[in-house]
Amino acid sequence: MSSVTERLLEIQNLDVIYKTDEETVYAVNDLSLSVYKGETLGLVGETGAGKTTLALSIMKLLPERTGRILKGAIHLQEFPVTAMSEADMRALRGEMVSMIFQDPMTSLNPIHPIGMQIAEMLLLHKKQLSKAQIEERVDQILTLVGISPDRKGDFPHQFSGGMKQRVVIAIALACEPQLLLADEPTTALDVTIQAQVLQMMKRLKDDLGTSMILITHDLGVVARTCDRVAIMYAGEIVEMGRVEDLFQGDYHHPYTTALFGSIPNLTKKTKRLQAIEGLMPDPTNLPAGCKFHPRCPRCMEICQKEAPGAADRKGHQVRCHLYAEAAKD
Amino acid sequence: MDTPIIQTKELVKYFKTPKGDLHAVDGVNLSIQRGQTLGVVGESGCGKSTLGRTILRLIEPTAGQVLLDGKDIVTCSRAEMQEVRKRMQIIFQDPYASINPRMTVSEIIAEPIQVCRTMTNKDEINAYVVELMRTVGLAERLINTYPHELDGGRRQRIGVARALALNPDFIVCDEPVSALDVSIQAQILNLMMDLQESRGLTYMFITHDLSVVKHISDHIMVMYLGQCVESAATDELFRNPKHPYTQALLEAIPIPSLEYRDKEMQVIRGEVTSPVNPKPGCRFAARCPKAMAQCRESDPLLKEDAAGHSVACYLYADPPICGS
Repeated sequence: MSSVTERLLEIQNLDVIYKTDEETVYAVNDLSLSVYKGETLGLVGETGAGKTTLALSIMKLLPERTGRILKGAIHLQEFPVTAMSEADMRALRGEMVSMIFQDPMTSLNPIHPIGMQIAEMLLLHKKQLSKAQIEERVDQILTLVGISPDRKGDFPHQFSGGMKQRVVIAIALACEPQLLLADEPTTALDVTIQAQVLQMMKRLKDDLGTSMILITHDLGVVARTCDRVAIMYAGEIVEMGRVEDLFQGDYHHPYTTALFGSIPNLTKKTKRLQAIEGLMPDPTNLPAGCKFHPRCPRCMEICQKEAPGAADRKGHQVRCHLYAEAAKD
Repeated sequence: MDTPIIQTKELVKYFKTPKGDLHAVDGVNLSIQRGQTLGVVGESGCGKSTLGRTILRLIEPTAGQVLLDGKDIVTCSRAEMQEVRKRMQIIFQDPYASINPRMTVSEIIAEPIQVCRTMTNKDEINAYVVELMRTVGLAERLINTYPHELDGGRRQRIGVARALALNPDFIVCDEPVSALDVSIQAQILNLMMDLQESRGLTYMFITHDLSVVKHISDHIMVMYLGQCVESAATDELFRNPKHPYTQALLEAIPIPSLEYRDKEMQVIRGEVTSPVNPKPGCRFAARCPKAMAQCRESDPLLKEDAAGHSVACYLYADPPICGS
């Protein structure tokens, strides 16, 4: 597959920590991942799994004082993100890769009209455009995301949550980036509005050919929009594959199985949910061996000592000792 | 049928705003039988939380009645209210905001007991707190910890323990799991269902998450802009949603299965209109794909069919379904 489609983003053995005087948080641990042109990769996990940290690492927007990439490399096409200077990175952000943040209520500037906030992207990255051309492009983008261009003089507080998220998406797409990082773009929205925004994002992606990493904890959203899925737990990808691999068959990481078991099912009646016992491990003090072993119903002796490698079955990777045999093939 | 434990009659709550009255709850009639769970669903701003709080008289209703075992509590005096409050409690949405950060776990759980003086002996209270902690699955060693030392799931367990402290009959659960991760959400939902079984609790479960509400409720009421647009037994509602808003809401849930992947979503357009001085007619008419002329003229009334399925929509009014 990788030989046919072009690789857009490649992450190799990435380690990210947050270091303060008191403690060190191991947020991302030895993570490798690729995103190909035109595809949507779903990044699924619970709070503290390291999803947002991963996105911030790609944008190189980790908190300056505490966040640090310890090892590993991120390549965005030919650009070595991890080795680039801040000035070079600034040129890349928005132009090549942009990010949609979770909360549309706080990610817009309250004292500037939304049209201006979209134009800012173009002013920074497309310096060859004239003023009139920028205005024209702003109108175009607003129409694209379903907001009437008459409203470009309005301020964020004059819009509802769903509309604000459309504005945020418009800003992110203004320069037609190759890669869009969407960090829980619909979590703060109501279901009917979420459906509108998801439908719009899917359409835009098809029209513009943008690749996307969709960060979410909602497996329903993943089923509707993603081509491939990566399940994260305690800073690692425990399972990754095509969306069909994840939602079908029984070759799964126990965490993935447990995650599916804990969602109330609309189509089946169950008496009780299958909750995952225990809590997410403390990221300052991760367990030895497999990070999931203290909560795992199928934990074996080896799981407590040795971290499992990724077992690959035709591009469907599972990081679990249960499937260690497959890894040797 | 027995007297429902909770019943509201034409319950109304308007908030005054500079632009006019905000119709948060507008003539809601509901009833919940003992030991059952009523799920209240709707989008943000539809008045679900206000309804829950008005039923507990944490917010004074503008008009209408709230009956607890057939007795109107809206007219109760302050002293009478304290007795009533022992029987009805609430679990709040955000376990990070709803408990006092300066109190220890035991102080938080014991507070309702001290306020209502159901127990006065200190040792007795302590023993009771430990028992409650065990009931909700909190380890006894956490008794002197402060909330900031605990994660969201444990904090919500404190919220549940506090609500149980006075041994109530009825608990309003205002989005108790929406701030939690799915694996923790499942733990809390299981706990609440276990408690309902062992203590015969009655729940009013407010949420925007339809999969959660389907899992936990016996009956469901769908709210839109302060009004009940549809109410039915859970299975009936999911099998046969009648109101166009309910249909749109069910359609919009992303289902974690690939079967629905290529199906075109029927997305309703537009957004919730303003609840301030709403225009006459069905509140949903502006977004409704099936709106007719009369929908914009007068309010459709809630009509109940033989199976106990009520809907407020003109699509089902003609021929009129026999009311109760």
